[in-house]
Amino acid sequence: MTKLLSRRTFLLTGAALGGTALVAALGGLGYLATVDVDGLGGFVDGDDAVMNAFVTLHDDGRVVVKVPRTEMGQGIHTGLAMLVAEEMDIPFDERISVEHPVELLPVYAHWAQMLGVRPEEPQGPVTWIGRRLISSIPLITTGASASTLNLWHPMRVAGAAARHMLLAAGAARLGVPVAELTTSDAAVHHAASGRSIPYADLARQAAVLAPPDRPALKPRSEWRIIGRSQRRVDIPAKVKGEPVFGIDVVLPDMLHASIRHAPVFGTRVVRIANEAEVRAEPDVLDVAIIEDRSVAVVARSWWQAETAAARLDVEWSASEADAVSSDALDARLADALEGGEPYIHVEDGDVGAALAVDGARVVQATYVAPLVAHACMESMNATVVLRPGGRAEAWVPSQSISLTRWAVFRGMGWAGVDPAEVVSHITMNGGAFGRRTETEVVAEAAFLAARHPGRPVKLLWPREEDIGRAMYRSHARAGLTAVLGADGLPAAWDALVAAQSLMQSIGSRTLPITPSPDGDRLTAEGLEKPYYALPARRVRSVHVPSHVPIGLWRSNGFSFNTFFAESFVDECAAAAETDPVDYRRALLARSPRHLAVIERVAALSGWGAPMAAGRSRGIAMEHCFESIVAVVAEVIVTGDGEVRVPRVFCAVDVGTVVNPDAVVAQMEGGILFGLTTALISRVTLSDGRIEQSNFHDFTMPRLANAPEVVVEIVPSELPPGGAGEPGVAPIAAAVGNAIFAATGTRPRSLPLALAETTGAGRLRTVLAAEAG
Amino acid sequence: MRAGGAAAQGEAARSPLRQGATVVRATVNGESVEVEIDPRSSLLDVLRETLGLTGAKKGCDHGQCGACTVHVDGRRVASCLTLAAKIDGREVTTIEGLSDGDTLHPMQQAFIDHDALQCGYCTPGQIMAAVACVAEGNATSPERIPEYMSGNICRCGAYVGIVAATLDAAAKMGEG
Repeated sequence: MTKLLSRRTFLLTGAALGGTALVAALGGLGYLATVDVDGLGGFVDGDDAVMNAFVTLHDDGRVVVKVPRTEMGQGIHTGLAMLVAEEMDIPFDERISVEHPVELLPVYAHWAQMLGVRPEEPQGPVTWIGRRLISSIPLITTGASASTLNLWHPMRVAGAAARHMLLAAGAARLGVPVAELTTSDAAVHHAASGRSIPYADLARQAAVLAPPDRPALKPRSEWRIIGRSQRRVDIPAKVKGEPVFGIDVVLPDMLHASIRHAPVFGTRVVRIANEAEVRAEPDVLDVAIIEDRSVAVVARSWWQAETAAARLDVEWSASEADAVSSDALDARLADALEGGEPYIHVEDGDVGAALAVDGARVVQATYVAPLVAHACMESMNATVVLRPGGRAEAWVPSQSISLTRWAVFRGMGWAGVDPAEVVSHITMNGGAFGRRTETEVVAEAAFLAARHPGRPVKLLWPREEDIGRAMYRSHARAGLTAVLGADGLPAAWDALVAAQSLMQSIGSRTLPITPSPDGDRLTAEGLEKPYYALPARRVRSVHVPSHVPIGLWRSNGFSFNTFFAESFVDECAAAAETDPVDYRRALLARSPRHLAVIERVAALSGWGAPMAAGRSRGIAMEHCFESIVAVVAEVIVTGDGEVRVPRVFCAVDVGTVVNPDAVVAQMEGGILFGLTTALISRVTLSDGRIEQSNFHDFTMPRLANAPEVVVEIVPSELPPGGAGEPGVAPIAAAVGNAIFAATGTRPRSLPLALAETTGAGRLRTVLAAEAG
Repeated sequence: MRAGGAAAQGEAARSPLRQGATVVRATVNGESVEVEIDPRSSLLDVLRETLGLTGAKKGCDHGQCGACTVHVDGRRVASCLTLAAKIDGREVTTIEGLSDGDTLHPMQQAFIDHDALQCGYCTPGQIMAAVACVAEGNATSPERIPEYMSGNICRCGAYVGIVAATLDAAAKMGEG
């Protein structure tokens, strides 16, 4: 591994870019491309020619691209390395490898999200100031489908700058003007004399040259790598079981820990009835109460720690939440829809007036979605060591190196650790889906490590904690109302959602000030449908708190609101006796980009063509994370209520595509993830506790349940949008709409089906009673 | 084999047997190993924690997800549900022992060729299950493979590629 960039470099770039960002934010520029890229200075460090913060060259021709984003299966290491290789004219072959940097450089930060918030917006000045403050410590995180959007510009600039420096070094070596030189195949060429020098031979000289102020980027017409599918850099090692996921970290003298959290969220440890007995278990070294919220056992092996933890007899404090059931929570949501005081997100036109018209054709429906878990295949874990002198080091499958570092401080009680001396390593992630933006497992491991200085402690949550004592996607209930005009299209659109505020739940865990749930757009996103022509439109939300912690979950509010809104569009189409695709065509008359996506998916799926008996189709779309996705689901509903989804068609406009294979894979994966949730996922509460614990009761579709997915990318030259989450959003509504087409009964409640296990691990999905 | 196997052997040979422990002798990825284990421990925990073979993954610890799939005498097992003591005298193959030196097993190559994975966490189990699926004669068609590969969960949703890879490798393995 290469040495850290020097402290000097870190401080200089930190000061410089902080200033630039402040100007950009205050000046209202707020757009990534306007932010200068700093951190482009290079240096030679032993065998490494560090060209800048993103690329290091080696004498033997190896090129190491630093990608400050977490690889969690989405192929981001490949996509972002392609940008550097493109600008440097390096073929995307085995010479290129990718590392997640351990440095927290400002140039790596998640700028788009921070700059995207204005003080005058509903989240208000508190959030804006908070984000301004954390921008002075770079927030490096992987999420919001924003990695390509964030680094699209800086990483191309970094590649172009490195190429510029190599050209200058080549010109000096050959004694010719730079203008006579070209680059290709990782070498500088002088056509006039027929001489070429590989980058590897120039790297040391080039790295110490001054980087250009504003290196020119290649025009689109000269791209040879961007837009063409490339091999995934992480796959060859993965088929050999070689990559180190967090769970695989092995360090000398390492201790292992397992844990039990409060069964009812928010309750506290009163006492451990049998602590002495558990401590006497073989090779148990420690039983620790962490912040009164959990009890961990530390032992020489994880199996011993877990076996001992299973014997813990913990008395937890009583809580009002002890009596809460899923039905009670749902009743609270229903009450809030009736009598809550909603926050108004959008109000265009006079919805009230349209509703008050005598004899108006009103369509009205109420929808429900449950709490769901993330169920990453790799359970939550973290390994932390506290070394002499307050130096801490962590190895974590995390979506954020910045948040990991803060969690280490937090877990160690903010004392005895030198903030500048915490080094975090982001390991491979066995799935993430938003779950690994949360860092409680890191804080817990750090707490345990501080009790065993000098020895690394690896804490692994058993699956039962991962599913039953975790963070969840909010449950939600929504009432939608439309007034149909003479043309059958909505003259007014009114959406009211009751849910637990994600931003408030996250804020209450992580910020000193709990943010207001008002204006939490993650609660209401997906209800506005701004691309549909709706003369009057209102979107409101009511916050319904509960004791259940809510977390980021792949596509967040879209995961339920798009189901609600796109099902409702279908209901309006049915009321207007119009084909659902024709209905959307009319709604998209003034949105040509969206219309093109609908047209593609309609053509791809053969919309309108007769289907085999027992099959039906449903369509839905969403524009989210700067991308547009439309899907058509084919379903089969049998006489006894079994529902299957054999095929899904998907058209997607993600703007400029970096790696087409990765976009297709993200659509396939997003669709299956969304389909799982649509059909069978839910966690339920009884006596305040989550009832599900493992894959037998939080079921996953099996290979035999997986649909064929056909994806087509709609060409675009707009800036890149996100790919990780958009595929999740529309599938639930598409399946629901297809079920309606098949049965004539409108499903309005997720999940749509119940899972029955048959035979050797196969699932049979049967329509829930209210939908069948 | 990775570091760990040899060290564990040495330790077992030197130290007197701990109370309640038992010694297991087996062939793991072609090498003879002798390890001292708690008789209650699972094959998965012994592979990962004692032998340093972390390719097989812990997903659920209850035989639900297939991430821990390895071969015992050529047959696939969920190593989390297999007592380590049961491998005494048997041959165990894990993902680390599947390739022939630098030459990948056809199934590994097929998983690369068909992008049959995303995060890669379930992949060692998927590949070991797929190799067994072919050996059992159950990889004969795109309809049959899903039936016999349904013990392995992929949360990322790379199922389409897994079927394609299994079918492709089956042809190359000459047993499909």
